[in-house]
Amino acid sequence: MTHFSNHLPGHLFGWIPILQPGGSLGNYWWLLLFPLVFGISIAYRATHETQLVGFWWRVVVFTVKSTIAMGSLGAAMYLFVYMIIPLLRVG
Amino acid sequence: MTHDSDQTDEPLNWGAAFFGWILPGFGQISIGHARRGVLAGVGVLGLFFGGLLIGGVDCVDRHEDPLWFYAQAGAGPIALASDWANSALLKSGKVGDLVETPAAMPRATPAMVSSFKTVTPANEIGTLYCALAGLMNVVVIFDALKRRPVERSASAGRR
Repeated sequence: MTHFSNHLPGHLFGWIPILQPGGSLGNYWWLLLFPLVFGISIAYRATHETQLVGFWWRVVVFTVKSTIAMGSLGAAMYLFVYMIIPLLRVG
Repeated sequence: MTHDSDQTDEPLNWGAAFFGWILPGFGQISIGHARRGVLAGVGVLGLFFGGLLIGGVDCVDRHEDPLWFYAQAGAGPIALASDWANSALLKSGKVGDLVETPAAMPRATPAMVSSFKTVTPANEIGTLYCALAGLMNVVVIFDALKRRPVERSASAGRR
């Protein structure tokens, strides 16, 4: 049976963008959070800046701050789960 | 936190809000804030298409993931088109193969799913990207709704 995908140029490369998953970098999936935060920062700052002068610098700063904040929350959660909870007495 | 003097208690721009849902950022462009609209559109569309590149159109599925789809639908017709592509191309087997999956119940009929469907983190992250694109576009739409059009901003500035 011949499928529609066999006639697409992308089939030559083994990946059809948009239709087929591109993957998530395996164990490094968390790296995809950086472009996620960057995209959010662009849309957020575009609607919250009075003047768009120095826009991209503010986007980068907002991205770094947000990433550090989320990373800190992740580290705090890690410490809570792996360090503090094991110290709790059961019963 | 910055406060935008262009956002006032003036009449709401319902037309701009509608245009902003049709195409992210177009609401701001329609009231004269072209650069702001383009930047907002780049952010929202970048997130949405980033999600599709990571997880494919399977990330947008109003039947299997309705709650996620409600958030994704904020990005406008591109979310509806992605859901259509998922149903019409992937789930129908027109693109990729339909493969049999183990039945959930002993006597249930085995389900057929697209070979392009993924249950790896790619699907979760792609779904998250598209959902956040939709939610950010809601923010952009509200901005277009309240932002003062350029003509009125200019005349108010002269007063």
